[in-house]
Amino acid sequence: MEKNGKGFSMPKSSLKSTPSKDDSSQKSKEGRKVQFNNGGSPEERFDYSKSNGKSSSSADKGGRGNTANVKASKSKEKEPLELRLNQELLKNAKCLMDCEAAEIIQGIQDQMTLLSQDATIKLPVSFHKGLQYSQANARYTNTHSVRRVLEYPSYFNVNVLTKLPSTLKKHGVVEGEISVIANACPESTEEVFALVPSLKSKKSILQEPLEVALMVIKPLRKVDSTSV
Amino acid sequence: MYLKVKLPWNVIIAPENLDIKGLLLQRAILLKVLEEFASRRAHKDLGYHIAVTTLESIGDGKVRQHTGEVMFPVVFSAITFNIFRGEVLEGQVHKVFKHGVFLRCGPMEHIYLSCTKMPGYRYVPGENPEFINEKSPPVGKDDLVRFMVMGTKWLEADREFQALASLEGDFLGPLPRPEI
Repeated sequence: MEKNGKGFSMPKSSLKSTPSKDDSSQKSKEGRKVQFNNGGSPEERFDYSKSNGKSSSSADKGGRGNTANVKASKSKEKEPLELRLNQELLKNAKCLMDCEAAEIIQGIQDQMTLLSQDATIKLPVSFHKGLQYSQANARYTNTHSVRRVLEYPSYFNVNVLTKLPSTLKKHGVVEGEISVIANACPESTEEVFALVPSLKSKKSILQEPLEVALMVIKPLRKVDSTSV
Repeated sequence: MYLKVKLPWNVIIAPENLDIKGLLLQRAILLKVLEEFASRRAHKDLGYHIAVTTLESIGDGKVRQHTGEVMFPVVFSAITFNIFRGEVLEGQVHKVFKHGVFLRCGPMEHIYLSCTKMPGYRYVPGENPEFINEKSPPVGKDDLVRFMVMGTKWLEADREFQALASLEGDFLGPLPRPEI
């Protein structure tokens, strides 16, 4: 992904639970820049507007320049904070749910107990942290069922008289968004649309399939899973 | 989130590892892939390297004239971890400062959550400093927090990522502390 330009914009989240309090806190912090560079160039900035191939009716970043200021309170362009994955990246990459990754990484860990006798086999530094995090966030007892339910919720809705399956993917929900939904273990569709704002434009179409999906995957959660 | 990626790499095998029968050669190629995958640590687009899963294919080798080494094009699948702008994740607080906290999320250690992005929270200093809110659980060391990623930065020199987090939004914030 190419980093473009010297400046960047600090988008505001499209969701604010307490707008009045938030404005006052932002005004009191006016002029404060939040950045941390470890000896890097002062021109380096966070990449907030990555190139993406996913079109969205609520976002229009293509025609805008990248010279906006860091200060959120002064930014007039309220770019929605939405999940954007580079389409070039997705050609060779598949987004996994945390529970799927936990199964794969645990399988490798189990094999490593046999292979650890061979000192020439090296594991990446991030392996153990990756394993630990995936296990902590693996919240379902049956990962294959969760994947199927999120991709084909209508199979599980006996009240829907349709000949063809209604899939979330068919309505434009991408893999990354499905992964975020699964990882978050949402209790309601309201929570789904709050955590994945890019789906709000399709709320009328997605409401029913999502309700079905959440109802079916709820019993698949592990007992000690928690959610906000 | 975790990604399953398919990567084409060129692997260079030293002449002493080349074997007529081929089995030791495949082993040498696999070990080389594992070694390079581990040493590179991370990729600016794919994130932190977690593990190689399968060696999909090994192409025809090309001899390098001056050294006698042979370069093999290989394709393998691997698991990586990266976070993206707009993604919602759960992280654990590992450092608390006056102006914000640092979260860790898997292999990613430098996720900064500024106090300006923690609406309703105020800093309470002390032996165990934390941010408290009248209506929500506190944010202190080792607490789990659900946040949204505002932006990420790739540091080429260190081969690691930094990120900015935000709690501005519904259904974001700290998870309740487990009752002892």
